[in-house]
Amino acid sequence: MIKAWQSGTSCSVIGAAHRRQGKPCQDASLSCQLGSGPQQLQLLAVSDGHGGSRYWLSDIGSNQACNAVRESVEAALQQTPLSDRDQWLRQLQLELPEAIQQRWLEAVQRDWQQRPESATTPFSSAVYGCTLGFVLLAPQWWGCSGIGDWDLVGISAAGEANLLSEETLQGSHGEATTSLCQADVMVAWRQRAQLQELRASDPLQALVLSTDGIRKSCATDGDFLQLCGQMIALESGDPLKQGLVEITAQGSGDDVSVAIVQRSGPRSTRLAHGPAALAIAIVAAGAGGWWWWQQRRPTPSPIEREVVQLCAAPERIKASLSQRKQQFQQLLQQPKAAEALLKEPERDPLGALIASSAGGSATLQACPPLKAALDAQWRMARKTPEQKAPAQP
Amino acid sequence: MPFPNVRLSNRPLHFIYLCDCSGSMAAQGKMQALNQAIRQSLPGMAEVAEQNPEARVLVRAVRFADGAAWHLAEPTPVQELQWRDLEAGGITAMGEALSLVADALQSPPMEDRALPPVLVLISDGQPTDDFDAGLSRLMREPWAQKAVRLAIAMGHDADLEVLQQFIGPEPARGGKSPRRPLQASNATTLAQYIQWASTAVVGAASMPASRVAQSEESGSNIPLPDLPPTLLDPTDDVGPLVW
Repeated sequence: MIKAWQSGTSCSVIGAAHRRQGKPCQDASLSCQLGSGPQQLQLLAVSDGHGGSRYWLSDIGSNQACNAVRESVEAALQQTPLSDRDQWLRQLQLELPEAIQQRWLEAVQRDWQQRPESATTPFSSAVYGCTLGFVLLAPQWWGCSGIGDWDLVGISAAGEANLLSEETLQGSHGEATTSLCQADVMVAWRQRAQLQELRASDPLQALVLSTDGIRKSCATDGDFLQLCGQMIALESGDPLKQGLVEITAQGSGDDVSVAIVQRSGPRSTRLAHGPAALAIAIVAAGAGGWWWWQQRRPTPSPIEREVVQLCAAPERIKASLSQRKQQFQQLLQQPKAAEALLKEPERDPLGALIASSAGGSATLQACPPLKAALDAQWRMARKTPEQKAPAQP
Repeated sequence: MPFPNVRLSNRPLHFIYLCDCSGSMAAQGKMQALNQAIRQSLPGMAEVAEQNPEARVLVRAVRFADGAAWHLAEPTPVQELQWRDLEAGGITAMGEALSLVADALQSPPMEDRALPPVLVLISDGQPTDDFDAGLSRLMREPWAQKAVRLAIAMGHDADLEVLQQFIGPEPARGGKSPRRPLQASNATTLAQYIQWASTAVVGAASMPASRVAQSEESGSNIPLPDLPPTLLDPTDDVGPLVW
């Protein structure tokens, strides 16, 4: 008997560097069930907006990419029986890429037309540029396709992890990748398309689909594969999210996304960890008893999460705050700006933390280095230009 | 078991100076100006590194005169760097210097996950060895192709053509671009260029955005920051014409 797929999970977390700079998360991810009965299929997707000034709407591009793949797979599911593997391989190689790209293009065009910039600037899909990787999970097979520098790792029941798909660009330059915003890239899609039949004896236990920020956070590919094996043991929701926060903070600083699915059946003991083990582990990793205390509380707020993250890496506190000098000034000059930040703290957690610290925050009492750094920034912001000028000899 | 129980790491950013130490650099205080400019730029570079903890800025330097040799062979965290003065004397083995850097950019020792390196070539003259062979060797290395390549011409005897070849194709539009050799004709301008390369460029290279492969935007592997306002045109010099 073939083991069934369990419900997948997905999570995107803003990169430590983007958070510091007050930029939005340019990653998006998706995990959902589509269809019903014998035509039931699970979809996992991750998308990574290119970021940078040229791709200034890539956060919208990545969200639209996830919508486009969901709608396109839903449409394909209505026309193609899951038992027809050849046809699904063709879907992954050709028909889905064309449909996804078309839907994505239409969606970002609609978004552009609603923007004031559209009155003076012609539409360019490049500003929405992003990658997209997706996995389809049927009872008898799994398949993947996509474009760009996403990675797919398979993990066996024995805990062995293998890279199943990665981008290989000939003569690539720097951070170059292929993109949804490019025309004539069907060859790149086809190179990433594959369909694998599942058998009763198939050792595959889990699939981990991720954006490049995770692999680039690891010292070596060996570490990346090992990390994927550890990630499947995290419970979805806050533990997974907190795990990703740790990965970007200690690693590349890039936005990070994963979509994970496992098959039913016994899991290797090498991979089994409960939430308690996770919490103890992170304490052991250096976050300290205060972190443990935080973890025991129900769902921390974005500001509390920010405090946890900064307090776990005190050497990064100064770098994070020094890039927000203007925000400290602005909050002094326009106290109402604090209300906007505190109203939606998830949009800019560090900004909200700074705003909340203006009048002294109880949350900060548990993290003296952060409190001291925030106090120092406020003192600096309150100084007049004359006071800031270096003393003349 | 701790999570994450793997080696997570920030990404190395290799910054390599290629410094002309030919005899002509001894004239008019050029060597002294270069040593001083690099030394003075280090605190700013360290500050940029501190503001971008996701990048680990590692500095190296090659000197070239009668031959080429590593002046600072070990990739050194900028915070720990103590600049040792270069000395002038000899001819201009620029091609050999490029070959030496090509060896260092092989993978390994270069890490797969490194950020695009920054190479800064500083010269006051013309290569006296086989520059083309050196450049060709360098550009065979994928990491050299990915690198941000900048060139600073010290004085008006510098060979702008070879420096442009090192940088890559000249931008189509005329005028202001750091994709042309930066021309310094006095110590002040040189210091400003070195400061710009070691702070603004390092900052940009520390947090690169993804880039669409084979797009027409290329020309640089990271979007180069603007030159400082006083240096918007690389051919517009500041201060007196000394060199």
